[in-house]
Amino acid sequence: MKRFLTVLFIVISLVPSVFAQGRTETVFTQEIFAMDTYMSVKCYGKEAEEAAMAAVREIQRLDSLLSTGKETSEVSRVNSSGSAVLTGDMKELMELSLMAYEKTSGAFDATIFPLMELWGFSSKEFRVPGKEEIEETLKKTGSDKLSYDSESGKLVLGESQRLDFGGIAKGYTSMKLKEVFSSFDIDGAIVSLGGNVQTYGAKPDGSPWRCGIQDPFSSSGQSVIAAIEADNLAVITSGSYERFFTGEDGKTYHHIIDPSTGYPAESDLVSVTIVSKNGAEADALSTACFVMGKEKAVKLWQDSGREYEMILITKDGTLHITGGLKDSFQTNSKFEIIY
Amino acid sequence: MTTSGKKKADIILIAALLLAALLFLLFQLFSRQSGAVVKVSVGGEVVKELSLSRNQRYEIGGVNGGFNTLVIENGQAWIEDADCPDALCVHMGKISFEGQSIVCLPHQVVVTVEGSSSESSLDAVAK
Repeated sequence: MKRFLTVLFIVISLVPSVFAQGRTETVFTQEIFAMDTYMSVKCYGKEAEEAAMAAVREIQRLDSLLSTGKETSEVSRVNSSGSAVLTGDMKELMELSLMAYEKTSGAFDATIFPLMELWGFSSKEFRVPGKEEIEETLKKTGSDKLSYDSESGKLVLGESQRLDFGGIAKGYTSMKLKEVFSSFDIDGAIVSLGGNVQTYGAKPDGSPWRCGIQDPFSSSGQSVIAAIEADNLAVITSGSYERFFTGEDGKTYHHIIDPSTGYPAESDLVSVTIVSKNGAEADALSTACFVMGKEKAVKLWQDSGREYEMILITKDGTLHITGGLKDSFQTNSKFEIIY
Repeated sequence: MTTSGKKKADIILIAALLLAALLFLLFQLFSRQSGAVVKVSVGGEVVKELSLSRNQRYEIGGVNGGFNTLVIENGQAWIEDADCPDALCVHMGKISFEGQSIVCLPHQVVVTVEGSSSESSLDAVAK
């Protein structure tokens, strides 16, 4: 009887731990519509709720700072006055943008807004502009026409120039969210800012975070073409399938404008994914590499010391994956590894 | 208690433990299979959770007074009709795996599949 009781005691004391294992730890998810898109924040751990709420506040703060649609935003005020002394987030974003402009030889440009407006991508009233209109607008774009002093933060825009951090804002936000998360007692978090993914810390079950890459050839946008494991990384994809319209001439025009021509970029790529510790850089590079095309994108990756990883999908459906990802990706499509 | 009585008690105990373990396992398996839920949120607030395994229709009232008709059939969910300007949600197709979602920006409606976790499921999709 004594033995029976001992065994029973052990069993009873084991029960809670078994159930605790079956149950997931505290999870808290927040959804928010900001920066003209849908965002979700999911945190795991003791202070999951506090961390997720703080993340949402940070997103809202940056949105009201950077929105080109709100007249009261910092960006709108700079655009209407043409000059300003930048501090804090604005200064950081300006410098990141100029760095990306230099690095990509102008394929990423934070002054491209007048062109986006001309094509109707900001108002969603799409139209195909005439050649002269494009040439006229190209005179207003180009980060080489503004002057910026990083010491003082003094920015002077060129004539009729408009600043828009839209191409880098979501990646920058995901970077800032990492800082927010680090001040809370959480085990892990995953955020999707309109399809820009950032992972933080560990998943409760100890397995790596798994991130899918949208299939650019799927008409519904519900299938993935590949999956990668990504811990503490930003995974950011740009593709011609995201936003496009069909002009009166029957041709399709997508939203990634080549800053050098003023027309939608015509490269051999349909989708570019950048995997990087630096979300802002990943955001800027995904757009820039799409504009540059496969060959130049690979050269840039090699020249910059392979400090990030890429998945380039060419029009023929092949995935071109950089070496660092070779053990962490899965796909059923044709692929080649780039070194 | 005799020796054979002790043995008998042991056997009963072991049998009871095995049964408990089996029940626990079955419970886990069962709850996992039927666990897939279609979560509907409007403006960031969850308004409805529906089972993916039950065929049903649900009229979602979006912000700005719009509607999106959600249909769940044979383990798949999709938006059949909506009065949003671009109707992108209708063209977003059918979802059935965890992490897949349909988003209607004008109505701030998000439909997500949750809780059918398996090893191959994704935590997020970059797009």
